[in-house]
Amino acid sequence: MAKIIIDGQEVECRDNIPVLQAAVDAGWDVPHYCYHPGLSIAASCRLCLMEMKMPHPQTKEMGWAPKLMPSCQTPAREGMEVRFATEKVQQNQKNCMEFFLLNHPLDCPVCDQAGECHLQDYSYKFGDPESRMVDQKLKNPKKDIGPNTLLYSDRCVMCTRCVRFTDEVSGTHELGLVNRGSRLEIDVFPGLPLDNPMQGNVVDICPVGCLLDKDFLFQRRVWELSTASSICPGCATGCAIRVDHADDKVYRLKPRYNPGINDWWMCDEGRYGFKYIEDSKRVTSPIVRRGLDATSPEWADIPEIVQFRFEQHVRENGGEKLAAVLSPFMSCEEGWLLIEFMRETAPECTLVMGPVPMEGDDQSFPVGATGDKVKFTILNEKCPNRRGVEMLLEAAGGNQCSFDEFVEKAGGGSFTAAWIVGGYPKEWVSKELNKATGKIDLLVVQDLLQNSLMTSAAFVFPACSWAEREGSFVNAGGQIQPFDWATNPPEGGRRDGQYLYEIAGYAGLYNGERVRKLMAAKIPAFKEIHEPPVRPVHAH
Amino acid sequence: MAAFEPVLLRNRGVEQSTTLKVYESRGGYQGVRKALKQTPDEVVEEVKNANLRGRGGAGFPAGVKWSFLPKDRTRTLLCVNADESEPPTFCNRILMETDPHQLIEGTIIAGFATQSQTAYIYLRVEFHEQFHIVQKAVEEAYAAGYLGKKIFGSEYSLDIYVHRGAGAYVCGEETGLIESLEGKRGWPRIKPPFPAVEGLFGQPTVVNNVETLSCLPHILERGAEWFTSIGPDHSAGPKLFCVSGPVKNPGCYEGPMTISVRDLIERNDLGGGMRDGKKVKCVLPGGVSMGALSVDELDMKLDFADPRNYGLLGLGTAAAVVIDESVDMRMVLQNLARFYGTESCGQCTQCREGTSWMYKIATRIASGAGRISDLDLLLETARNMGMMPGYSICGLPDGATYPIETIIKKFRPELEASINAQAPGKAEALFTVLN
Repeated sequence: MAKIIIDGQEVECRDNIPVLQAAVDAGWDVPHYCYHPGLSIAASCRLCLMEMKMPHPQTKEMGWAPKLMPSCQTPAREGMEVRFATEKVQQNQKNCMEFFLLNHPLDCPVCDQAGECHLQDYSYKFGDPESRMVDQKLKNPKKDIGPNTLLYSDRCVMCTRCVRFTDEVSGTHELGLVNRGSRLEIDVFPGLPLDNPMQGNVVDICPVGCLLDKDFLFQRRVWELSTASSICPGCATGCAIRVDHADDKVYRLKPRYNPGINDWWMCDEGRYGFKYIEDSKRVTSPIVRRGLDATSPEWADIPEIVQFRFEQHVRENGGEKLAAVLSPFMSCEEGWLLIEFMRETAPECTLVMGPVPMEGDDQSFPVGATGDKVKFTILNEKCPNRRGVEMLLEAAGGNQCSFDEFVEKAGGGSFTAAWIVGGYPKEWVSKELNKATGKIDLLVVQDLLQNSLMTSAAFVFPACSWAEREGSFVNAGGQIQPFDWATNPPEGGRRDGQYLYEIAGYAGLYNGERVRKLMAAKIPAFKEIHEPPVRPVHAH
Repeated sequence: MAAFEPVLLRNRGVEQSTTLKVYESRGGYQGVRKALKQTPDEVVEEVKNANLRGRGGAGFPAGVKWSFLPKDRTRTLLCVNADESEPPTFCNRILMETDPHQLIEGTIIAGFATQSQTAYIYLRVEFHEQFHIVQKAVEEAYAAGYLGKKIFGSEYSLDIYVHRGAGAYVCGEETGLIESLEGKRGWPRIKPPFPAVEGLFGQPTVVNNVETLSCLPHILERGAEWFTSIGPDHSAGPKLFCVSGPVKNPGCYEGPMTISVRDLIERNDLGGGMRDGKKVKCVLPGGVSMGALSVDELDMKLDFADPRNYGLLGLGTAAAVVIDESVDMRMVLQNLARFYGTESCGQCTQCREGTSWMYKIATRIASGAGRISDLDLLLETARNMGMMPGYSICGLPDGATYPIETIIKKFRPELEASINAQAPGKAEALFTVLN
């Protein structure tokens, strides 16, 4: 750790981090565009310039150097003294803002970035309200650079973050620079669009409205969006994300800073993978069947009916005829509540880990990197919580079997009652499973999308997408990461946690954190929660 | 004044001066033989004693530059800056056209002094003919065993590659040149690390100008003392001067750094006076980037110290453009601003936006729609750019602002008079159209 003095105040920071980072961490609002902690230093936007004390070349006496220094490029060293709150520094910021806006079209009313634009924010905070530019503006073109991304070069501030991202993080090098001077533009090579599994990040790191996401284009003004802290359910990496939503609709996902797991990034598969939330095949209300008679009772009545039917079944057929298939899409809390209920009803019941979807191979970035050089990995395990469910099963002990064994045994008539949890965003029920469940009298299907098991199930419960639930996922690295709900379940639905909570015999409202505490009291492995640090207010 | 005995240009006008045979017959490749018998440190010391200052524009002592190389380095690379992209400058071009072996000899000496194994001669792409001349000379030197392994029977080996750029002013900046050599966009690098520590391909690198290196054979052959006897103490050695514009004999001349701008224009063995009875109005004496002189300031000495006394950035390339009285200074302003507007690499905000803004303003003034306040706006924009106040990575914007600033300061009455003589309302009318 080093102690440096910023504007007369002592600040402690890690040795050799950029002074800019130290200042931003300590709460200073130092404007910057080209600097991003996840990328190399460019020092080209010249917004973060500071004054620094240096020894006089002749007398060696320490004094304020006449030359301004880029704070992003200057490493913090013990005892160094810098300042931002001076006229010289502020005048430079003002000049820069005027320069940035010289050729900017000022089209905020139609720009998606408006509201989260650092050109707006910095102009307001550091710039002059009047421009002295009276000449014709240069109009650089708007370009379609890939299947998901648009580039408005007239709004660009040439921070080159996106270029450095494709060079250093995705390793795919699609973006480059063409022309010179104020005609300089970011561009792709002819016939080679920006199309890599990480490309969405360039939109996130673009500090202005130059790079925009086609998926979110003109969908919503950003100030109308609310945000929820979440964890991406796309794969077992467990990227920390933000779910931006309005009117119970998810508009976009953005990565949250999560060092060591996803850092600042997320992949496109996760980013655009939320569309199933609005699938027309979503199950929205519970169904209870007795013989041919199907009803959709009030949610309030359901716990009692379920408990009664299961207890009756155990009395008549014995507890070993009972099985529960847990899904790697369940949160730990939901899994724990279900196990609590099943084992309470029949301690000898069999617990099963549902199918774990795997697709292809892991993908590491930068492309071709191995070992320490890897900055991001998309895992081939396409579910968020296999580890968590396995931890629950390990703690629960007792009768357990694999999913294949379950299908086999169920087909052979070993189980007469089963609770099967799905929640998979794609069709997942195999012919074998469908056939095997025919022998189960009391079948509970808790799933997101309609499937063939539901036609014969005694109970059908709508599962919610992860954006509508709260709880925690355990990623491939074993980190237990809590997530919040963003939107409400579709009309008529109820959060999985809520009905499981009630079925397991608890009263009141389900709350992820409370259940986590109950769970951790019984299973110590769940005590240590991983929550990413909050990034400083002025970082972007 | 006794006629100056040419040193660097001594082979100019000699038949087949580009061939190894002629170069050697006129005393070539003696300096390098002498150098290779010494230790590298002795060579560095000799060059330091000669006070050889870089001819590329900044005037940094070459020997001192070499001594910045880390002592424990395992590999060193030498780059020869033959990008010569400063307007009105053609000293390097003449040197390469007339005496490529002098450059090669200098390169070997510098390579030996810095213990470089590889040297790259970086030529601007427009040097088409010169490329072939230098390339041929390099091949000749290889064939004679002067390049490659164990040069002149010593333990020292050097390979020279001749590389052509892709046409950018900023590639004359040493780190821009290095980036370009690496096959990247010629964007000057942020410093530190300086090239001496981490340059081309991450190796310790020295970048020297063609003219600087061409001085080396003579320093080694005739000694540092002889070299410092030419010209004033702070500006030792022979220097090439270019003069262009409406003078009788435009061209490249060699001399000590004791001559003044007036000498360069008027002396019979140099510019030979103005053509067709024209009168000097303005001179840009150091390439265009160093700033402008008015007719009252022609006594400025073309050395490394005096230009500062006239508000100029430095000696630059010592290539003077003479502008006569028939030229409208508004056009000069526009022409200069245009060059920097198109040549700014676009990396740093102030330079990228500032240079093209200055061009727009200057164009408007030139088109007869200027305002007096535009002159102040140009001055202020110029002050908000540049490496010296820390606003940019390289020195290009300093070079972009000095000519604009000095012209406005020194020719303000004329510019104001032109603006006041404009058709009334023209400027205002233009703003209504644009806004």
